[in-house]
Amino acid sequence: MSSCNAFNGTSKNCRVAVVAAGIVSPLGFGLAETLQALRNATDCIAAVSRFDVASCRCKTAAQIPDQRLLANRENSRKNARLHRASHMMIAAMTELFDRDPEFKPEVTVIGTTSGGMSFGEDYYRALHRHQNLRRSPEWIANYPPQKPVLDALKVFEISSPCFVIANACASGTNAIGRAFESVRSGKCQRVLTGGYDALSELVFVGFDSLQAATPEKCRPFDRDRTGMVLGEGAAVLALENLESAKERGAKIIGEILGYGISTDNHHLTQPDPSGSGPRRAMELALQSANCSPDKVDYINAHGTATPFNDAAEGKAISELFGNVPVSSTKSMIGHSLGAAGAIEAVVCLLALQSQFLPPNINFRASDPGLVLNIVANESRDAKIDIVLSNSFGFGGTNASVLIRKVAA
Amino acid sequence: MSSRISGMGWITPLGRGVDKVWNRLLHGDESPAQTISRDEGNETYQAFLVPAEAVRNLPPHSRLRRASAISRFAAAAGLDAIAEATSMGLKIDVAKLALIFAVSNGGVIYTKRFYHGIVESGAQSASPLLFPETVFNAPASHLAAILGVEGASYTIVGDGAVGILGIKMASDLLETNAVDYCLVVAAEEADWVLCDAYSKWRLTRSSPPIEVFLDRPHGTILSEGAGAVLLGREGALQVDAINAGGNFAHQRNAGEVVERILWDLRDQNGCIVASANGTFVDLAERDAIKKQMPHSPVYTPKPAIGESVGASALWQVIIAGQALVKGQLPPMAHGSTDAGLRLSETASRSGSSAIVLACGLNQQAAGLRLST
Repeated sequence: MSSCNAFNGTSKNCRVAVVAAGIVSPLGFGLAETLQALRNATDCIAAVSRFDVASCRCKTAAQIPDQRLLANRENSRKNARLHRASHMMIAAMTELFDRDPEFKPEVTVIGTTSGGMSFGEDYYRALHRHQNLRRSPEWIANYPPQKPVLDALKVFEISSPCFVIANACASGTNAIGRAFESVRSGKCQRVLTGGYDALSELVFVGFDSLQAATPEKCRPFDRDRTGMVLGEGAAVLALENLESAKERGAKIIGEILGYGISTDNHHLTQPDPSGSGPRRAMELALQSANCSPDKVDYINAHGTATPFNDAAEGKAISELFGNVPVSSTKSMIGHSLGAAGAIEAVVCLLALQSQFLPPNINFRASDPGLVLNIVANESRDAKIDIVLSNSFGFGGTNASVLIRKVAA
Repeated sequence: MSSRISGMGWITPLGRGVDKVWNRLLHGDESPAQTISRDEGNETYQAFLVPAEAVRNLPPHSRLRRASAISRFAAAAGLDAIAEATSMGLKIDVAKLALIFAVSNGGVIYTKRFYHGIVESGAQSASPLLFPETVFNAPASHLAAILGVEGASYTIVGDGAVGILGIKMASDLLETNAVDYCLVVAAEEADWVLCDAYSKWRLTRSSPPIEVFLDRPHGTILSEGAGAVLLGREGALQVDAINAGGNFAHQRNAGEVVERILWDLRDQNGCIVASANGTFVDLAERDAIKKQMPHSPVYTPKPAIGESVGASALWQVIIAGQALVKGQLPPMAHGSTDAGLRLSETASRSGSSAIVLACGLNQQAAGLRLST
């Protein structure tokens, strides 16, 4: 059993290593493709191909090509029944377990917002239009949010408990945060965590109806930002007690240092303009890491490019961190909702490993109301040791995680 | 394990209020099924619904003005649990109160209405007022705003076992000094589209009764409502073990997971509040109980108040808590006499501990043990 220090008088305070990760996103399949696309500042946003968007203001999204994602779909009848989200989770977990086959999670904590929503859409549309409902049992059974996670766990013969967090767009970071707390407290040695979401018509139209989605380019923190663009994907991280990871010779790719969560009760869909909710989450992450703001070298912002969100987050960042480099990688891959926090945590790990700042593309002009050091349009080489990743969501959920290069 | 139950609240098809509903269960009352009609077409479905008067006296908070039924149920149960704790003299500092909301199907009524608009009239008719209420964590957001919770708030999604997972998460949060209390609320709302879906999934029957522990299950009836448990470090009931269980790939494998959970939690002097609901769950639980606690009294509330999916495990926890405090279990309706289990048709003694088994309909199972 690994040793841990006393924490808050009651809990242990174990160090938490990231020993493996897996990712599938519009940037690519796997860490190597993702890194290359980040370096190249690839704009992954294109016309929506999955459903009709003729009546929507926004007509673009960042999508994972089915041709590649579903390549194994026809291998078996079982695979053919799975939701696209299940295939995303399987792809991400395959990479993780290829990288660390010895990693055996005691618990899984995954974030999502909409599960297998498109199967719910298929079912309702067929029902409403009196079409063939022969496939309805499989649509219904594979629609719930836990199902893509369980499908992927089954591939790797993992039957341990699975917690699925649905804290809207903060879900992925909340999942990593809960997983971090489980290992840090000494309750678990190894936890599998991450997030996923697949593009769906209902969610797409929902953001469009709120006029939160833009018909233009996604320009986080830009003076002329007009809104978000949706994305999709999945990312998973293997968290392990640092001592335990060292003992078994696991490759340590980063360390989760701290986590903060806060709730902003201002409005169901809009943040308090003061930025108090995001600020509290970031402060709590720093506190839990016993880290001062000046030690943070880069912030991967939530940065949806909506006027309200970026204003609140930008204000909180500049007040708390001053001139630290900031970017929103959603400018490249859109907002993948429950997957976003997990994907962005992996982006942070890649940035730490390769010592660069991922870019905030489509940036043209600084917002005069925000004093931010934006990593504009191109990736930059930089010496970075500690980075912060933010996720904020509907319902006023705010979450931040602090990640360090490699456990010293 | 140091967490205790400091307050409870529920809203069910048999009404609202812990003692009120408990007394009805003790008297053997069963909720009458109500007929829900499809918005268009002639199809009808039967479900156990919460009586309208049960949600009438909610606080006039702006967040509840347009909120869906599920948010109102969550608010009713959550506020009742807090009220019970404060009536016992407990002081709750909202700065050290966390919230966990457990759910399975979520806000199906508004989700269906929102998507119906898209299917019927196109994306341009989609309502921006409805969309935010379709998000799983909308009820948690409303309840957090009503209570003033600004710290940790988590919505977790799963099947019928999700309530136990919520209590497990709450118990973990309580082990830090950051939190003094954690309010766990689980809720669900019924709608024809949900009834249709579960029917096509071949899990429901057309009308009551819900007969449990039969060799060949006949199906369940959906219901709605919410349960809430305030976990803290004080209270008459102790959560002395939680088994977060695991996942089963096929219905036929559910028994193995349930048996493992019951083996871990077993107490030969305890009673069992099961999740048997007229489906494959009954067989999984029956076989596990026969092997691990064959002489223990068994009760399931599903024949009386239906299968509320995400809310069901918290209802079971409240029944388990009441059984320990009151020293008896309600009479078991519509249980198979051939099941080989100790199912009592009259109120029976509960034992020194109460074990809650929650086997969900979609591959998850978990359990916990309460004692006084």
